[in-house]
Amino acid sequence: MRAFLVRHWYAYAMVLPVVIVVGVLVLFPLAQGIYFTLTNINEANIANPVLDRPASYEFVGLQNYLHVLSGSESYGAFWSTLVRTLIWTFGCVFFHYVVGLGLALLINRPVRMRGLYRVLLILPWAVPPFISVFAWRYLFNSQYGILNQGLATLGLPTPVWLGQSDLALFSVMVINIWLGVPFMMVTLLGGLQSIPHELYEAAEMDGASPWQRFRNVTLPGLRSVSSTVILLGVIWTFNLFHVIYLTAGQNPHTRILVTYAFERFFSGATRDYAVASTYGVLILSLLLVFVMFYRRAMRRQGEVW
Amino acid sequence: MAEVAYVNASRVFPGNPPVRAVDNLELAVADGEFLVLVGPSGSGKSTALRMLAGLEDVDEGTISIGGRDVTNVPPKGRDIAMVFQSYALYPHMTVAENMGFALKLRGVPRTRIKEKVGEAARMLDLEKFLDRKPKALSGGQRQRVAMGRAIVREPSVFLMDEPLSNLDAKLRVETRANIAALQQRLGTTTIYVTHDQVEAMTMGHRVAVLKDGVLQQCASPRELYERPANAFVAGFIGSPAMNLKTVPLTGEGAQLDGVVVPLPREVLDAVAAERLTEITFGVRPESLRLVGADEGDAVGRAFELTVELVEELGADAYVYGSARVGDRPERFIVRVDGRTPPAFGQRVRVAVRDLDEVHVFHPETGERLSG
Ligand SMILES: Nc1ncnc2c1ncn2[C@@H]1O[C@H](COP(=O)(O)OP(=O)(O)OP(=O)(O)O)[C@@H](O)[C@H]1O
Ligand SMILES: [Mg+2]
Repeated sequence: MRAFLVRHWYAYAMVLPVVIVVGVLVLFPLAQGIYFTLTNINEANIANPVLDRPASYEFVGLQNYLHVLSGSESYGAFWSTLVRTLIWTFGCVFFHYVVGLGLALLINRPVRMRGLYRVLLILPWAVPPFISVFAWRYLFNSQYGILNQGLATLGLPTPVWLGQSDLALFSVMVINIWLGVPFMMVTLLGGLQSIPHELYEAAEMDGASPWQRFRNVTLPGLRSVSSTVILLGVIWTFNLFHVIYLTAGQNPHTRILVTYAFERFFSGATRDYAVASTYGVLILSLLLVFVMFYRRAMRRQGEVW
Repeated sequence: MAEVAYVNASRVFPGNPPVRAVDNLELAVADGEFLVLVGPSGSGKSTALRMLAGLEDVDEGTISIGGRDVTNVPPKGRDIAMVFQSYALYPHMTVAENMGFALKLRGVPRTRIKEKVGEAARMLDLEKFLDRKPKALSGGQRQRVAMGRAIVREPSVFLMDEPLSNLDAKLRVETRANIAALQQRLGTTTIYVTHDQVEAMTMGHRVAVLKDGVLQQCASPRELYERPANAFVAGFIGSPAMNLKTVPLTGEGAQLDGVVVPLPREVLDAVAAERLTEITFGVRPESLRLVGADEGDAVGRAFELTVELVEELGADAYVYGSARVGDRPERFIVRVDGRTPPAFGQRVRVAVRDLDEVHVFHPETGERLSG
């Protein structure tokens, strides 16, 4: 052991800075967050150096978890929020993928002005999200928005898109799908271009129709790219805060787990850090479980990463 | 089983200027024949093959398979199987699935597919690998899977585009023989593209030589070797390449460093008719021999060579040397017995073994003048 240290101290010294940075920036806050979930910490009992007030929060065991998991409305209606989060996440990722793949397929073919289309389709991604979100809010405005004006001239009903109804969830999903498609498109386009051309020719010789070629060459060829972007997409969307918050604010009909954690942390009568942390830990656990199952499913299909 | 015919078929790639990758190809392949397309890189071999497969448009002329005009028929309707240079195996399917894919698409019942795949696997010695993915196979095994995929379909024509170019030299020789034997056994019309003239000569019933998209000659390997239709074919077929030199003419023959190689009467007549003062004179390295010092009577028929390089290959040795032709030095290659090669710098005397083995071509058009 001594000899080992003497021989390899240099390697440890080289790794040390990274260990310290990761410890300070990730592990310490994580541990602290987990600890907060076991207390009743909030704005009123946290240590406040300005008021020269010492911390007075107490250890309460699993009480926060019990409150949250009871699904009570005053703790954010956890279960119905979870369902909404899942609808939001999988709805968005599904359409990101399908629309992104569709566009990637169109744009991958030799069409005229292909370069121009590529640039145009990447544009939503290049615009700062809060600008596009405000543009969309304007489009969705119930009185002045282009959407409702268009519907009105056609004599169709003009709903309040971002009001207190499930239509608001639909609207934020539309916005987020629009924002997320370019990323999928670009990634899948890269995947499509890495599929050897001869495979299509071989399939054609084997008598495959265009649909069969898509099923048997394109989709399998995209599998490793798809599995990665879908996983990333799910994690990102599950935790995507700004689109919902900037579009709909604190609308309970668009509430997902992260936006509720944010509400609890930064607003409300008392800023309840304990409940917010509890949400944070639950979100992390859900994502970990998801990643585990996802990886297992992928590995069964022979994908290694 | 079917015969194949290219009738004045051309493929013109757009561009500036347009590329005539295959130019007025006129070629008929008999039922059950093994035809090899050979030519230097960029000569249009792959394009010609892909036109037949339906992967490339036919811009002019027509192509027919089994008497049916397929010029505008998509690949699917041509009843053709192709082995690609890169094999193009479906990476996510097992060997068995790869081989059975075409049958599955055709709706053949599963038990029947299994039977056929098993049969082909036995033929190609692939039974052990049926459940593996292509990734887990060696290059030679992948090549056999690609063959198997073609065989299973029982097509009327096999197309192969340089199927052996990814194999090492030894395996290539082995597989070459296997493919030829398999084709013999199945009796399926086969068109095989290669740039390797040894493959062309050993495998094909007939060999078609292409250059810049134009068919130069299509004949049996023997004929191609003995009576090349022009200087290009003469130089392309045979290894090492034929000695092709532009030499001045005299009344009776070709003038080489102090000797006159006599030429047959009809060649001299043809030359005279064209009023030529020079010809392209061709003689293969194996048609030349060293003249021993004791062969006094060979004076006057042998010319002198200064040895510049000797390549020893065991049984044979190739002697590279220069001789004077007209007023400039020209390099000649002579194939000699490997046991007694001359040394570097030595001056040797060389004679043509048999005057029938001399080839004469037109100095400008390259057309064959000798009979
Ligand atoms: N898509 C294309 N567009 C333009 N020109 C092309 C295209 N494909 C091939 N060519 C040209 O056509 C000619 C013939 O190409 P081809 O691939 O048939 O050659 P090849 O005889 O198979 O050569 P190799 O032995 O190197 O495979 C080449 O000059 C090539 O540059
Ligand atoms: Mg080629």
